[in-house]
Amino acid sequence: MNYPVWELYTAGGGFLIALIAVVHVYVAHFAVGGGLFLVLTEHKAYRTDSAGMLAYVKQHTRFFMLVTMVFGGVTGVGIWFTIALLNPGATSTLIHTFVFGWATEWVCFTGEIVALFVYFYTFGKMKQGPHLQIGWLYFIFAWLSLFLVNGIIDFMLTPGQWLDTGSFWAGFFNPTMLPSLAFRTAIALMFAGVFGFITSMFIQEKDLRESMIRYCCLWVLIPFAAMLASGLWYFHALPQPVKTMILKRSPELMTYVKLFFTGSAVLFVGGILLALKSPLPMKKCLAFLVLAMGLVFMGGFEFLREGGRKPWVIYNHTYANAITKTDQDRINSDGFLASARWVSQREITPKNQLAAGKEIFLIQCTPCHSMGGPMKDILVRTQKFSVFGMDSMLDGLGKINDYMPPFMGTRKEREALASYIVSDLQMKPEEPAATARPQIGTASIPEFNPKTDQYVLLAWNNLGMHCISDSDPYWVLLPPANDLFAQLIRRGPLPELVTEAVSIRYQVEPGFETPSRHVDFWKNVKSNFGKDLEPDTGLSGSRLSGEMHMNKELKAFEANLIPVVPYPDNGTYNPYPLFSIEAIDTQSGKRLALTKTVAPTATEMGCKNCHGGEWRVNGQAGFTDATSRDVLLAHDKNSGTRLLEMAEKGQPRLCQSCHPDPVLGTKGTPGLLNFPAAIHGWHANYLTGRGTEACYKCHPSAPEGPTRCLRGVHADTLDCTSCHGFLEDHALSLLKQEDLDGKPGAKRLMAHLKPRKVPTIDAINPRTPWVNEPDCLTCHKDFTRPDPATADGFNTWTKGINGLYRMRHDDSEVMMCEACHGSPHAIYPAKNVLDPDRDSIQPLQYQGNRRAMGFQRCSVCHTVEMEDTLHHPMQEVILRENQPGA
Amino acid sequence: MDPARLIPSPDTIPVHWGWFQALLTLTFILHILVMNTMLGSGILALVRELKTGSDPDPVSRDISKKLPYTIAFTVNLGVAPLLFVQVLYGQFIYTSSILMAVYWLAVIGLVIVAYYSAYLYDFKFDALGQARLIFIAVTVLILTVVALIFTNNMTLMLRPGSWGRYFTNPGGTLLNLSDPMLYPRYLHFITASVAVGGLVQALIWSLKYKSGAAHTRDHVTSGLNWFMGATCVQMVWGLWFLLSLPGSIRALFLGGSSLHTALLLLAVLGGILSLVLAARQREWQALWALLSTVTLMVFTRELLRSAFLGAWFTPANLTVTGEYSPMVLFLISLAAGLVLVVYMLRLAAAAGKEVAP
Repeated sequence: MNYPVWELYTAGGGFLIALIAVVHVYVAHFAVGGGLFLVLTEHKAYRTDSAGMLAYVKQHTRFFMLVTMVFGGVTGVGIWFTIALLNPGATSTLIHTFVFGWATEWVCFTGEIVALFVYFYTFGKMKQGPHLQIGWLYFIFAWLSLFLVNGIIDFMLTPGQWLDTGSFWAGFFNPTMLPSLAFRTAIALMFAGVFGFITSMFIQEKDLRESMIRYCCLWVLIPFAAMLASGLWYFHALPQPVKTMILKRSPELMTYVKLFFTGSAVLFVGGILLALKSPLPMKKCLAFLVLAMGLVFMGGFEFLREGGRKPWVIYNHTYANAITKTDQDRINSDGFLASARWVSQREITPKNQLAAGKEIFLIQCTPCHSMGGPMKDILVRTQKFSVFGMDSMLDGLGKINDYMPPFMGTRKEREALASYIVSDLQMKPEEPAATARPQIGTASIPEFNPKTDQYVLLAWNNLGMHCISDSDPYWVLLPPANDLFAQLIRRGPLPELVTEAVSIRYQVEPGFETPSRHVDFWKNVKSNFGKDLEPDTGLSGSRLSGEMHMNKELKAFEANLIPVVPYPDNGTYNPYPLFSIEAIDTQSGKRLALTKTVAPTATEMGCKNCHGGEWRVNGQAGFTDATSRDVLLAHDKNSGTRLLEMAEKGQPRLCQSCHPDPVLGTKGTPGLLNFPAAIHGWHANYLTGRGTEACYKCHPSAPEGPTRCLRGVHADTLDCTSCHGFLEDHALSLLKQEDLDGKPGAKRLMAHLKPRKVPTIDAINPRTPWVNEPDCLTCHKDFTRPDPATADGFNTWTKGINGLYRMRHDDSEVMMCEACHGSPHAIYPAKNVLDPDRDSIQPLQYQGNRRAMGFQRCSVCHTVEMEDTLHHPMQEVILRENQPGA
Repeated sequence: MDPARLIPSPDTIPVHWGWFQALLTLTFILHILVMNTMLGSGILALVRELKTGSDPDPVSRDISKKLPYTIAFTVNLGVAPLLFVQVLYGQFIYTSSILMAVYWLAVIGLVIVAYYSAYLYDFKFDALGQARLIFIAVTVLILTVVALIFTNNMTLMLRPGSWGRYFTNPGGTLLNLSDPMLYPRYLHFITASVAVGGLVQALIWSLKYKSGAAHTRDHVTSGLNWFMGATCVQMVWGLWFLLSLPGSIRALFLGGSSLHTALLLLAVLGGILSLVLAARQREWQALWALLSTVTLMVFTRELLRSAFLGAWFTPANLTVTGEYSPMVLFLISLAAGLVLVVYMLRLAAAAGKEVAP
């Protein structure tokens, strides 16, 4: 941001560093350990009076000089060049903070060169004592170089007090400096043995060769023990966040952990095997394998060390993309383009949006990501995203998964970046704003003759906005399971609720009878729900037609978990299948009443908006495997699970089998967040500052979507946030309860969420999902009509499950609220844009309008005029006000 | 694009900028002398190889033995001024390096190849026969390319006005070819290398002659001829260099500023003096004149940089944190290091083997 960014495309993403740094560091460690190897081996040659060994040392010195001084020396400068090109800001900090450390290291470098030249060119020509002195001086200079560079490198991982004082000494003698020095010294000695193997293999005299190979084995194996011990010390000295980053947070680092340990194991075993007797060609191969694995070991370690400080390049000071913590505050207040030096677009307009996005991309993303290259390829990582998904991912960066820096800039800048990545890099066409409306036909209204009909049959679905996830081969969070309720009233001066001697039957509309033809629920039900089911039978045994049973507590007939799906046999998407409900006199078999109701069942769950894939059915709804797989990939990556592997072995899981959920009654794994808290809490971090789109990108309520499930009276004046709060509020209310219950994961998800409806998290009332929900009476105080402009139902929750709208009765304790007012989210007068009458069938059937039952007259049930009401306060007033002509 | 907007904010420095300026100047003088020796010797060896064919030429053989040392110390002594220039002018040199990143990073690979090629030229001098020409040619060719890259970077860092080209080419392939100063400056450094290479040859063979290892002063004379020829050409390039400077800056060296003018004048006089001494076959006196000339030229070079960047920046404005203790560590280490280097060289000399140029 202070400097221009070199546009590297495929060679980005740390490829250059990997290429130059790892090989250099390998050779540089050899340059230190190898120095001690030279002088001690020379000493041994004198002690044992071995001319052969002495000749070997001289040969090895030449090899050592050509490898360490030429390649090692120049690539060392190369690393400096490279980091200054890739992260000039951080390099500048290192240079300016430690200039005299580097200068002292340069003195050591000079001493090394002089010593090595003298050592090599005077070999056999100088007296033993002085020559050994030169050898020792070389080693001392080399080790001091390591000492100095090590302090500065570890400063980047653990800057310690430097962050407060800015002092050279505080930065240099940082918390991991000593263990790292011990660790690197041990590695350096091991590498002396590893490279010694190579030159020993070419000794002509067999005995000397074998003896030198065994000698080199000791050089590998003895420091190996020191390497393990100091490695443990090093690891324990790391601050906890760094350990967590290495072991848990960063998904890529596990690869390097494996490489490091594999390399270690091969070095150890290879060292032992080389000491054993075996044919020379085999030994040579093994020696080169050990040499190669030394590089793997070194690379594994260096990547772990660098990865451990993610998302920083200088911990808690400079991010990997060279933006400092100080800059971050400025960028977030002034905007990125206004703060950055090397950008040509200062303000975003519709015309320059992509150009501006590219500039932001170059500075914020390319320091770590390549484009189509072998390292951290941005094209692979963003392939799945729509602009919305990309924008959301950027929003969530650096929050829960803190291995990447957060996006820095304004909302507009973030959108520009997302648009650039999706439109220009991924070359995806713009998505249509609206989806084609499903054609679901017109519901016919059953007849009712107020003069002759003696019964009123009211039926409803208890969840007006209801989803199912037809992602069964991979996972499931909501099975096909719709609950229908009905109450039958015998009309009269004092109407009577009929609960006996009557059979209430339900029957789905034609075309929906065989859901097993359209979803894989039944193929995977054993794995997902632990039970075998006949096709087209629901989890509680309900089928698509059958008889309701009496729920005495609710005083309503009920058919639960009916496995209806939104896919009729004609291959379309219809989220509002109709059920016919009829009441039959059990004695006479005569039909007493007939009505219809909707069983909303949407598969417009927008996981694909961020997880990729397409709609499965008709371009309107349903999960494709691509979406389902990616959800598991993300879960596995973020939570260390192996759900995708299990699913691919035919063992998909119900999400709530681990995450408890009151609505499904699952206990889950103790300590894990409940499902609604987990799913809302996680995703809220990616969807901050949004309005209802944060809701409808997942739930089927998008105003231009195929389902448009928010179709009740509230849809005219309110939106999701009016009752549930913004996503952040909604998530925080759930997480806060989990936090109070001691769930360890809650704090992590809450850390970056800021409430929007209330000023602080303290002001949020915690709640249990499906139990503590918005209460109608918060706004409809004493059953009055609130001012929609000020109505806000957030943060006052129903006290318990019996306080829920879907469970409540009127004051007479007979009629359920839903019987007269309709399903939640489809409260009368409900307008279903796909078929206007579909969600108001009963008001239309019984009273000729779409309003709540009894809106204008009591005579739907009462055969005489009523002066008072027992149902709820204010009803008389409403009745009076709404009389025709009033 | 306003260049001032593009120049990055500098970081703080621990001690007064004068310390860094002194260290930068001192180490650059050492670097440029060794670099000139390396490249000049290489060019001389190449020319001799071209002339002599497969016959082993004693001068080339001598150069072959010393070339790896000089490369090693050129790299080593280049590190220090590059460090100090980053401390004082980091915001300029990091930026120019990024603009020409592809070439700048290529320096590393190029130097490695040149270095190994020089080692082959040394270790296999006899075994290679005529083929050794290839190796010295590769080394020299690469080193002249590296010099061109360096000249590009050192001039591009002075030209924030041309940095806006980045916005149409962020791929790190920009050079500073449109800068009229580039070519005379490059030729000035290359020719200086030939001159220094010639003088170093004269000095080496002068020592050999004195010690009886050489029977004639022919190679001394030949070296001095190279020195004189190159220095004469140098006067032409120097004039071109001066004329290529922007008017306001050129004026500083032509009376506009007494310091600038005096330094340049003294440097030129030093050059002329060294010519006269070389013509009189006084190679050791010519050496002192050369060292003075190079020192004065390096001062002039620093003034030139300040003049170019003066519109944007002066190191005197850098914030100083005042942490002096690390510098004390460095100075003590430097002293100790030098004592040990001298000690090692004395041990080497006692062993009777040449170990350093």
